[in-house]
Amino acid sequence: MKARRRRLTLLPQVLLLPAVVLFLLFTVAPGGYAIYLSFMKQKAGGGLFGTDNPTTVFAGLENYRAAFGDAEFWHSIGRMLLVAVIGVPATIGFSTLFALCLDAKRARLVGFSRLAIFLPYAVPGVVATLLWGFMYLPATSPIGGNVVNYFGSHTVFFAVANVAVWGVLGFNMVVIYTSLRGLPRELFQAAELDGASELQIALRIKLPLLAPTLTLVTVFSLIGALQLFNEPTTLKPVTNAISSTWVPLMRVYTDAFVDNDIYRGAAASFLLIVLTVTATVAANMMLRLLARRSER
Amino acid sequence: MTMDEEGGNGLRTNLSRAATSLALLAATAALTACGSSSSPSGSGSGSAGGSTGGTHGKVTLSFVNWDGGMQSAVDQWNKENPDIQVQLSKPSGTGYTLYNKLITNNAAGTNPDVTEVEYQALPALIANKVVVPIDQYIGDISAGFDKSSLAQVQFEGKTYGVPQNVCPMVFFYRKDIFDSLGLKPPTTWDEYAADAATVHAKNPKQYIGNFSAVDSGWFAGLAQQAGANWWTTSGTTWNVAIDDAATQKVANYWSGLIDKGLVSPEPNWSPQWNTDMNNGTIIGWVSAQWAPNQFPSIAKDTSGKWVAAQLPAWTAGDPTVGIWGGETEAVTSNSKHPAEAAKFVKWLNGSAEGVKTLIQQVDVFPASLADQSQDALKTPPPFMSDQADYNTLIASAAKNARTFQVWGPNANVTFDAYSNDFAAALQNKTPLTAALTQMQQATVDDLKKRGFSVTG
Repeated sequence: MKARRRRLTLLPQVLLLPAVVLFLLFTVAPGGYAIYLSFMKQKAGGGLFGTDNPTTVFAGLENYRAAFGDAEFWHSIGRMLLVAVIGVPATIGFSTLFALCLDAKRARLVGFSRLAIFLPYAVPGVVATLLWGFMYLPATSPIGGNVVNYFGSHTVFFAVANVAVWGVLGFNMVVIYTSLRGLPRELFQAAELDGASELQIALRIKLPLLAPTLTLVTVFSLIGALQLFNEPTTLKPVTNAISSTWVPLMRVYTDAFVDNDIYRGAAASFLLIVLTVTATVAANMMLRLLARRSER
Repeated sequence: MTMDEEGGNGLRTNLSRAATSLALLAATAALTACGSSSSPSGSGSGSAGGSTGGTHGKVTLSFVNWDGGMQSAVDQWNKENPDIQVQLSKPSGTGYTLYNKLITNNAAGTNPDVTEVEYQALPALIANKVVVPIDQYIGDISAGFDKSSLAQVQFEGKTYGVPQNVCPMVFFYRKDIFDSLGLKPPTTWDEYAADAATVHAKNPKQYIGNFSAVDSGWFAGLAQQAGANWWTTSGTTWNVAIDDAATQKVANYWSGLIDKGLVSPEPNWSPQWNTDMNNGTIIGWVSAQWAPNQFPSIAKDTSGKWVAAQLPAWTAGDPTVGIWGGETEAVTSNSKHPAEAAKFVKWLNGSAEGVKTLIQQVDVFPASLADQSQDALKTPPPFMSDQADYNTLIASAAKNARTFQVWGPNANVTFDAYSNDFAAALQNKTPLTAALTQMQQATVDDLKKRGFSVTG
């Protein structure tokens, strides 16, 4: 009896072990190492190339000051936010619209449409961006690239956001659609009996009931936007409009692996993590607040 | 990254996503830069498996190189050296994608034994201790190469590689279209500007060329021709002069053409550029010796239509040109068999047999002086089959090639600054000279930050 109870109390720990070990090995340890690196710097040694006894020395807050004081770092955050401001509402708006359409009573070919809208999500981001790159460039564009400059100083934000939205629209649509299907049908039937049109049902009944889902999807989209990297990186070689520090993650990559300053890259990425944590906590608080209000 | 994802905790997955991003970036580079095989280059010095210390055991060397046709040279070597077998692999990305990977992997000890290095990147690899001197294995090579080639691989009395080729800049033009416009290839930059205006006036959609913000080596070559010396050294002090008068002259010249809309501001190597080069929208290319090797993938339908001419000069009759590209093979500090690796490098770039294969299979113009008169050079590269004296032109350009005294140990930072600042100048229609100032600043700041002694 006693033995069995002890075995029972050990079981959760045993089951947790693999996850904890992996988490420590591949998240905590590299994270800690990155934080350590962010406080160090390389000091050239003697000789023309500094190869005689180069040292790694403590840098204090130098790397953080450099990232913080660099206007380009804040510009990159600004550009990322601009893409997010375009991309997030578009993603949520269109995926909600498509989900409501598919859920409508008169909808036909629902299975096929759902798959067709979802399919771009299965295309890797890099491939999708290459594809869109061809579509944007005047010489190869089937969508009027010789009339519209998709890589203008302003249009480039829409061009990048469009690729991202195209890729994730389907996924968000499925989340919203699933949540819609989970809503009690009798509510819609009651509304229909009361003479509500399909549009009225969608706008006045379905949409308010979807609020928690929409908030959740918005938070995830915002977090995704903070990690914008593939699309601008893949488009960079084909246009003058995108620099190697266009968004924060590109900046981190350039610091660490182009300019070979892994220390400054570590500091910039740690700063970025702090910003992401802050944004996520803020968004979560908002989410909880909204949930509480809807309970009332 | 994408805008969504499957939920879970955003923080927790942050690091793993960053890692995924980097992996994907490597894939991007492979797709955009060369489309080569994705076999990892840093698969360890394959040597470890072979010999365990014995002097007459079989040694296997890993070799990273992205040149088309290199396999033939490796096959030849392997046939004759059963005890030193070389395994060639293509890197997942070319140029700086490879060098940055070499620098990162150096700490992990997983670099290949031998790697291709373009001259401008060698100092950075030396500064990061990625490559080692090979004098003790190859002896004195100074008799076989001219001073400017040796200056690319010898520093502070140590030799870090055997120079493979010389890549003087030359001007390629569509002879058929130039003929129909009644134009001759320009001999001076003034004539180039005048021709640019003529071409564009006759057909507003047509350009004599483009100004590429992605090819810093290209702009550096043009600056070399004008007399620039971006990096010089005195003792162990670096002097940086990227915004010197000669380079400003070049920048101002191109600014003028860009402002008037006479050259296209599109970057090289993009699908746009390939299409324009292939369909006669762009009818000239200020390029270098290796262009015929690249043409088939750029403008496949135009074989035989391009002709190479001497690069336009700043003063009529001045034969000075800059270089764009050129490479050596270097032995890495991770290699467990540096002696064997150095032997292979010397054979590849410094023996009549190795060089002959390079000329025939990789379209190389050799740096090795004795081999510059090889019979194999009498045949032009396949894409230039109508220009029988192609290599004669290259040989005379090579004699008059001028390069910087030395490439900086942080040329990677300079080149990244070029691609950002020049692209921004083209995008925002601001003067290129302002971009030069930013390049200078970025380079000096970086050297200082790293603790080098710097002036300029």
